[in-house]
Formats: sequence, structure tokens, C-alpha cells
Amino acid sequence: MIVPFQHLLILASLLFLLGLMAVLVRRNLIMILIGVEVMLNAAGLVLVGASALWQQLDGQVIVIFLMALTSAEVSISLAMVVYLNRRKKTIDIRAFDELRG
Amino acid sequence: MIDSVLTGFPILSLVLWLPFLGTLLCLLMRHSAVACRWLALLTTLSVLLVAVGLFVGLPAEAGWLLSEDYTWIPSFGIRYSLALDGISLLLICLTAVLQVAAVLISWKQKEHPALFYALVLVLETGIIGVFLATDLILFYLFWELMLIPMLFLIGVWGHENRVYAALKFFFFTLAGSLCLLLAIISLYLIHGEQTGVYSFAFETLKQTQLSSGVEMLLYLGFVLAFVVKVPLFPFHTWLPDAHTEAPAAGSVDLAGLLLKTGIYGLIRFAFPLFPHAAQQSLPFLVVLALIGIFYAAWIAYAQTDIKRVVAYSSVAHMGFVILGLAAWNQLAWEGALLLMVNHGVTTGGLFILIAMLQERTGSRDLRLLGGMWKSLPFFSAFFLLFCLASLGLPGLSNFAGEILVLLGTFGRWPLFAALAAAGVIFSAAYMLRVVQGTLWGPLGQVCKLGDKGCQHEDLGRREWLLIIPLALLVIWLGLYPTPVLEPMRGPISLMLQAGGLP
Amino acid sequence: MDSRLLFLLILLPLAGGVVNACVGCRLPRKLVAPLAIGTVLGSFILSLSCWSLAAGSGTQVTLFPWLSSAGLQADIGLLFDPLSASMCLMVTGVASLIHIYAAGYMAHDENPARFFALLNLFVFAMLCIILADNLLLLFLGWEGVGFCSYGLIGFWYEKPENALAGRKAFIVTRIGDLFFTIALLWLFSLFGTVEITAINQRVLELDPGVITPLVLLLLGGACGKSAQMPLMTWLPDAMAGPTPVSALIHAATMVTAGVYLLCRMFPLVSLSATGMAVIACVGAFTALYAASCAVAQREIKRVLAYSTMSQIGYMFLAVGVGSVTAAINHLLVHAFFKALLFMGAGALIHLAGDENDIYKMGGLRKKNPLLFGLFLVGILCLAGAPFSGGFFSKDAILLAAFSRGDGLAACLWGVGVFTAGLTSFYSFRLLYLVFFGEYRGEHAGHKLSPLLIWTLPPLALLGLFGGLLNLPHLYGGHEMLSHWLGSPSTTEPPFVTEIGLLVLMSLFFIAGWLPAHLLYRNFTGEKDAPWRRFLLQGWRFDALYEQLILRPYRFIAQFCWIAGDRGLIDGVVEGIGRTMLHWGGYIRLLATGQISFYLQGFAWGLLLMLGWLLLKAAV
Repeated sequence: MIVPFQHLLILASLLFLLGLMAVLVRRNLIMILIGVEVMLNAAGLVLVGASALWQQLDGQVIVIFLMALTSAEVSISLAMVVYLNRRKKTIDIRAFDELRG
Repeated sequence: MIDSVLTGFPILSLVLWLPFLGTLLCLLMRHSAVACRWLALLTTLSVLLVAVGLFVGLPAEAGWLLSEDYTWIPSFGIRYSLALDGISLLLICLTAVLQVAAVLISWKQKEHPALFYALVLVLETGIIGVFLATDLILFYLFWELMLIPMLFLIGVWGHENRVYAALKFFFFTLAGSLCLLLAIISLYLIHGEQTGVYSFAFETLKQTQLSSGVEMLLYLGFVLAFVVKVPLFPFHTWLPDAHTEAPAAGSVDLAGLLLKTGIYGLIRFAFPLFPHAAQQSLPFLVVLALIGIFYAAWIAYAQTDIKRVVAYSSVAHMGFVILGLAAWNQLAWEGALLLMVNHGVTTGGLFILIAMLQERTGSRDLRLLGGMWKSLPFFSAFFLLFCLASLGLPGLSNFAGEILVLLGTFGRWPLFAALAAAGVIFSAAYMLRVVQGTLWGPLGQVCKLGDKGCQHEDLGRREWLLIIPLALLVIWLGLYPTPVLEPMRGPISLMLQAGGLP
Repeated sequence: MDSRLLFLLILLPLAGGVVNACVGCRLPRKLVAPLAIGTVLGSFILSLSCWSLAAGSGTQVTLFPWLSSAGLQADIGLLFDPLSASMCLMVTGVASLIHIYAAGYMAHDENPARFFALLNLFVFAMLCIILADNLLLLFLGWEGVGFCSYGLIGFWYEKPENALAGRKAFIVTRIGDLFFTIALLWLFSLFGTVEITAINQRVLELDPGVITPLVLLLLGGACGKSAQMPLMTWLPDAMAGPTPVSALIHAATMVTAGVYLLCRMFPLVSLSATGMAVIACVGAFTALYAASCAVAQREIKRVLAYSTMSQIGYMFLAVGVGSVTAAINHLLVHAFFKALLFMGAGALIHLAGDENDIYKMGGLRKKNPLLFGLFLVGILCLAGAPFSGGFFSKDAILLAAFSRGDGLAACLWGVGVFTAGLTSFYSFRLLYLVFFGEYRGEHAGHKLSPLLIWTLPPLALLGLFGGLLNLPHLYGGHEMLSHWLGSPSTTEPPFVTEIGLLVLMSLFFIAGWLPAHLLYRNFTGEKDAPWRRFLLQGWRFDALYEQLILRPYRFIAQFCWIAGDRGLIDGVVEGIGRTMLHWGGYIRLLATGQISFYLQGFAWGLLLMLGWLLLKAAV
């Protein structure tokens, strides 16, 4: 491996945390989705690194699947974002509280 | 899978599922109110026929007279087992009679009649199932099955305050039933751990060895469910509202039958399964019953709605029944169970008459009614007869049961029996107040509203058909209760022995 | 005569009552009354012809088992012995006459079927009391007469006061019935049977401490039915019913049921000295109380009601001093002349144009001399005019009281003698106010139906010559009733005592008559006075009971409902509901609807789970 596995894990966890932060803190719906993307990519990074570590292709295959699924998911999410924007004229997440008890 | 059939023809299942069949047919024919009505009547009459046939045909001995037993859910040890003894037989006959009456009194039901009759028939199945089941889960199933139709009957077809009354009834009885379920499951698990046999059958579970603390806990679980249904003071407050707001058929079923299921559960399941705990609890039952007798009679005096008066009188009479049960001797138990049957007929009749009165005058308020004897002489005569029976005039039904209860209780608790006897004064007070406000005096204000307020037609043909058998039953049970006492004699002595020594 | 015919004694009136009740309104009017009269007359004839069956210890027959359970065997069975036979004869005889009278009295009523049905059912229930061979059947008749009395007092129900009077009668007597019920329960638990003969034969087995409470309980029951203190407030108000009802129920039959019960259970009752003393005291004081109230009454029937109460007090006194014969003797004679007086009163009310108030009557002697003559006979018997039937029977009681010898009996004897004087006074007051002087009323009278008059002479004769029933040896008689009832007098009271008593009673008779003659012969009006109002209102017992019993009862009823049921129990239940809603409100705060809040929840949850797993792995 080009870099020690720990470096990879640290990078992946940092990326994950950054993504989590984006999800939790940002108000813009699209930024939250970007955060989710980042978290997904962090997971993908770990998978690729593990595949390199154990010299098995399974991890990389999973990542290819992940990319395909992520694109599908993103297309639907962005479509929903467009719809939500049409409903409330905003994509500030605080505006969508209709499930309030 | 049919495992064993102990009789040639499953007559118990027939009696049990016939009303349910009627329900399904009713739902199929829900577009024709007339068809549903006649179907309901036909079904209840056939159940009555079978019940009377069983009553006349079966001998009056102790032990199970008929039984059926099939496997149902073997992995949990749940069987479909029904059994009939003298007491269940009497109660099933009572059910059959009162359900015919309930169908007849609701003949003019205008809103969603098909659903109404369907629910009444499902209720009949539930009640008969309670009286027949000997597998605890099956019993619990039918126990809960009684609740849902009643909830809807009160909540949809009831009077002004129906939703509150229906919900109160439902939650009260449900709370008790959940305790029952917990106790049943605990008993099942304990028995399974002890013997390795996991079964819900009553006869099997009777042999569980229980430590006294556990026994008392489980007993309380059972008793809470039954005692709410009976009802015993202070768990009775659902009853006045439920009885008052229910439609006529609902009141007849509630007062005549549902209350009896509580007593039945006590004597069939609670006492035999936990004999030592039962003996310890008898003094408490007596005190609560005694308080209930006076408390309910006192409140009945303060009511102005006739149905509420009769509802509270039911609490008082059931207090008498519990008093008799707690005395734990043959005489008192025969009186208590006889009083149960008597009360069903008497109170059922009263509710039917009150419904007839309400159809004609639109009111149940004592202050507004009055002078009905002049315009409705035959109705008033029957009303007076049933009121006298309810207050315990000798020669009419309730007296026979009450005097046996008192005679039996005096042997064990003389002071309590003497106090309970004082209850007759209270019952005279509120019943005569009802008679005064309804039948005597000048014509009531409700009828001065002009012709649209009052119709003064006396009993119609259907109503004669309905009320005469009940009146004859009242007189027969009062003067010659022996045919009713004989079937229960054997089972009672068995239960008294099985429950342990006083 | 076949002993099974005895059942017709009770079944005939029952049949008459049931037929009239069920189909009476469909029958032609002319048939209703004769049907009722016929059944009671049939019972009367039957009891005459079966008389021989009653001699000695009587005849016992059983119809069918009524209640039989573990150890309890109560059948519909009759005991026809001397006591019950004599009562039966009196009841059926007087009832027949009253039925005939009622046919005339209720000729214009719109609902004769109901009236005669209730009247027949009443006779049935009364005969059950008299003829029952066990206490449960007696109790059935006991309550049955209570119900029929309720229905008959409130017969003219359109006036609420009548129905209320009926209700009062029912409830007050039911309080007495409670004591009877407890005695019945106790007797069953002691003896294991409710048969009267069996109980009476085995009373000596009882522990002495148990007997007095039993007797007091039986006395309580008797007081309720016989309107003795303290359960007497219902009788004056019961006069709201039609006069035949008052004559039958409140003179001759129902109110004597209490005396009959005590006589029937005399073997038990006589064993307790305290009990007997209490019975005698209750009787004597009620007699005094009622006589004092009768002095001030204005309605003719209320005077007679109080006088009934008073005379029954005498009967209780007789039982209390140990003489069943004297009690039954007075019961029979009193039934005759009191029924006569009540029926006469009914005729008088008719004559005076439905006027009840004796202050508004007067001079009716001229309107109907025959009625005056008959009423006079009744008054003479009531007042105890020497050698009338009432005189002999009252004398027998007072003689028995006097001869007992102990201090209490002597006191009560004194009370009895004084009350006899009062009785004479108010009887003649009634007579003078109604029949003498000038007519003070405003209405013209109605014509009297012959039925109302011609049923009275038999009663007058029976009352006048009633002394022959039990003529003491002093006058050459054979004391037939004593011998018949099986308790012949063993000791002769001294001649001097008897003569002395005779003279004393005559003196008190005149002492009562004289003031009445002076005050009321020519009546001009009476001043209202507080003592008069006090007596008029029955010593204000009604007001006392209202304060002591009725008001607290109503208050507790309301309290139990509002504070108990609605406040406490429903409060707890609804309180639980409200608490649940309240806590639910708190938990609801978690559902903010904010997506970032939910996402935070995810994050924290994830942290917790990971943390727990790591810690578990580390440990």
C-alpha cells in the first residue's frame, strides 16, 4: 500500500465528520445533500483502502455500486428539492416542519 | 385439525357460531333493513330453541354435561375447548332469551340497521363463548370480543353523551382485561416451568403449585378484570354512563348479560384456580359489596334520569350477588346465581319498558314525566310489575334470589346479612320514586308540549309479544324457581369443594 | 271436608284479583264487582264449612314447594288452626261486606277493575299472612298487603298527595319489614327451618340471651304493619284512599297483622320478660298518643285512623301482659265496629257532599236517622259503653294487665284506663260534631246508595253482641274464645276486682262522655290553640322524621353522587386521563418537526451505539 492504512482511516473519518457537520449544521437543503455525499464518499474511501489492504476486489466493486446508487439517489433528491422549493419558495430546512406534534 | 370430539354432534359450537353466521349474512344483506331484521330475529330464535332444548334435555347433575375439544394452536398449547355445565346452561338460556328481546326492542332501528343487528349478533357469540370456553386464551378471546360490539353500539347508536360513555366503558373494562391477560400468561409460564407442559387449558392449569404471594398477585389480576365487569364498588362508575347512553338493545345486553360474565368468570376461573387467595379475599369482597349496595342505592335516589336509576340499581343487586358468593355456602351461592338470572330478566324488562316510554314521550326525566297510567294503562301495569320485582317484592323474581342470599350469608356473617337486608328499604325508596314520577300524579309536562311531544298509543302487538314472556318469567322465577335451582346445585357444590374450606 | 279445599281459601281471591287485573277493563262494568265479591264470599263460606278442620292443633296442607335449597324448605303451605281459623273467618266476612259496600261506593269510578283487582289481591295476601305455615309465606303475604295498600291508598293517583301517601305507607312499613326479615334470617340460622309450628315447638332450646333480641325484632316488624310507635306516621295519611280501603285495610285487616304475628309466635315471644314488657309499653303509649291526637282531628277519617292506632295499642298491651285471648278478642270485635265506623264515615262523607271536615258537618241525624243509629252503635262500642262488645274486650285487656301484679303492668293499666276515658271523649266529640246541632256545611248532600247502608247492620250486631264471644264467667258466660284458642284462663280474678274494674270503666266512660256532651252538643266553633295544633299534627312526628331522617337521606344521596361518584371516582379516572395527556404534552415537545433536530437525533444515537460497542469491546 502506498500509505499506511491508519492514514487512510484518519482521512476517511475526518471526511465523515466533515460531512456529518455539514448535514447537521447547514440550513440549505442542497448543502445537506452535499454533506450526505461527502459521508458516502468517506465510506467509499475506506472500502477502497480495505480492498487494497487485503488485496481483494470486493471493496472496489462495492464502491462502483455505491457510485451508481448515489447518482440515482441524488437525481431523486434534487428533483424533490426542486419540488420543495416550488412549494415553499425556499429550501431553508427550517421551513419544513409540518410533522410538528 | 380435529383431535377428539366428545359428543356426536358439536352442538356447543353450533350454539356458539350460529349468531356469528347470522352476522355474516346480515352484512351480506346490508342493503335491506327488513331482511336483516328478520334474519336477526330468526337467528336469535334458533339459538333460543337450541338453548331451551339443551335446558330441557340435559340432566341436572354436577360436572361437565357436554364438552368439545379440538387442537387449535399446538405450539402454544392453545386448544379450542368448550364445555357446558349447569351454570353455563342457565346463563346461555338467559343470553338467548335476552337477545331475542334485544332484537325485538330494536325493531324500528333506522340508522344503519344491518350493522346494528350484525353487532348485536356478534355480541351474542362473544357472550356465549365466554360462558362456554374452558381454554384460557379462548376465554380471553371471547372476553375481548364482547367489548368491541358494545363499544360501537353505545358510541354510534346511543343517546346524547354516547362517546364519553362508550370510551369510559371501553377503557375501564380494557384495563381490567389487560391485567387478566398478564395473569393468564404468567400462570401459563409458571405452569410450564413447573411441569414442562405448556398449556392454557383450565383443568391443566388448576393443578399449578403456586406460592401464596404469587397466587395472590395472579388472583388479583383475574379478579380485577371480573370485578370491573360485575361491577363492584369502586370500579362501577362506567356502568351508569354506559347503561344510560346505550340504545335499548345495548342496555338490555349490558345489564342482563355482560354483568353476569364478570360473576361467571369469578366462579369459574378465579376461585378454582387460586383457592387460598380467594378465601383470603372474601372479607374484602364482602365489605366492598356491602358498601356498593348502599352507596349505589343512595345515589339512585338522587337521579332524575330513569335509566340511571335502574343502572345504579344494577350495581346494588350485583353487590348482593357478590355478598352471596363471599358467604361460601351452598344456600348463599344458589341464591346468588338465582339472583343473577332474576336480575337479568327483571332489569332487561325494565330497560325495554323504558325504551318504549322514551319512544313515546321522548324523555326519560322523572321531573317531566308523570301520569302515564291514564294514557298507557297496560304499559304502566307492566312497568309497575317490573319495578316491584326489582325492589324485591316476595312472589316476584328478585326476592327469591335475595332471600336465599340473605339466609345463606346470615349463617356466616350475621351482621353483614342484617345490614344488607336494610338495603331493601333503600331499593323501595328509589324504585317508588321512579314509579311516582312516571306513573302517578298529573300528566307530565313532557306531554303538554302538544301532540308532537307525546304519543299515547298503548302497547303494540310486537311489544306485547316482547313483554309478556318476560313478565311471565318474572312471576315464574319468583314463585317456582326450582327448575332453575336444580341444574346449578351440582356444579355449585363441586365449586365450593374445589375452592377449599371456608 | 277435604283438607285440600283449604287452598281455595287463598286461591279464590287470587283468581278474582288476577282475572280483574288482566281482563277486568274488557269485562262489562256490572260483572267486575260481583266477580270480586263472589270470590271473597266463597272464601268466607269455605272457612265456615271447614271450621271443623281447625279444632285442636289444626290441619296443615302443602300445595307445592316454593323455595327449596340447601337446608331450606319453604313450601306454599297452609296451617288451619284455631287462631288462623278465627282470623280467617273475620277477615273474609268483613271483607265480603266491604266488597259489597265498595260496589256501591265506587259505582261512579272510572276504573273499578283496578280497584277490585287490588282489593281481591289484598284479601289473598292477608289470608297468606293468616294461613301461612312458614315464615317465608307469611312474609310474602306481609309484603303483599304492603303493596296492595300502596296501590289502594294511591288509587286516585292523579292527585300526587294520594300517591305520596301510598309511598309513605309502603316505605315506613318496609322499615318494619326489615326487622322482621332479620328475625326471620336469625330464626332460620338457629333452627334450620322456617316452619312456624316447628319453631314454636322448639323455642325452649334457645339460649336465653338470643330470645329478647328476636322478640324485639319481631316487635319492630309488627310495629311497622300495625302503625305503632315509632313507625306510625303512615296511618293518618293513608286515609287519602277510598273509604272501603280504609275500612278494610286500615281498620280490620292489615293493621292487625302485627298483632297476629305476635300472637302466632307467642310461644317465642312469651319467653322473654323484657320483650313482653317492651311490647306492652309500646302498646300502651301508642294508645295514649293516638287517643290524644284523635281529640284534635278535624277530618272524620283521621279521627278514626288515630282511634284505630289507639285500639291496636290496646291489643299490643294485651299481648305484652300475656293474654293472647284478650288481644284476639279485641281484634275481632274492633274489626267489626271499626269497619262499621269507617263505612259509616264513607256514607257520611257522601251525605255531606264529599266533605271531610267534621267542623263543617252537623245535624246529619235528621238527614239519615238509620245511619245515625248504626254509627251510634259503633261509637258506643268504641267508647266502651257498658255491656257493648267493645266494653268486654277492652275490659278483658285491662283486667289481664291489672291481674299481673307487677309495677310496670299496673302503670300501663293506669295508662290504659286513662286512654279509655280519652277514647270515650273523642268518640262522643265525633258523634256530636257530625250528627247534632245545625248543619254547618255548604254543600248539598248526595243520595246514598242502599249498598252503603245495608251492609252496616250485620257489623253493628256483631259489634254490639261481640261480648258473647268471650263472655267472662262473671256474667254467666263460658269464655268460648279462650277455650277455642287453647288457652283457657286458669285463675279467676277476685270478684271484687272484677266488679271494681267494671265500675271504674263505666265511670271513665261517663267521664269522657260528659265533657264531650257539654262542649260539642251545640257546637259554635273552636279556637285555634298551639296545643290543638300540636295534637292535630300528631305531636309533629312527621316534621321530626323529616328533619332527622329524610333530609339527611336526600343530602347523602346527592353527596354520594356529586362528591363520591363524580368527584372522587370519576375524578381519579379522569385525573389519570388528564395526567397522561399532560405528560404526553411534554413528550410532544420532542416532535419539533425540524429536520435538523431529527438528524441530530440520528447523530447522537449513532454516537451512543458506537460508544457502547466500543466500551463493551474494551471491557
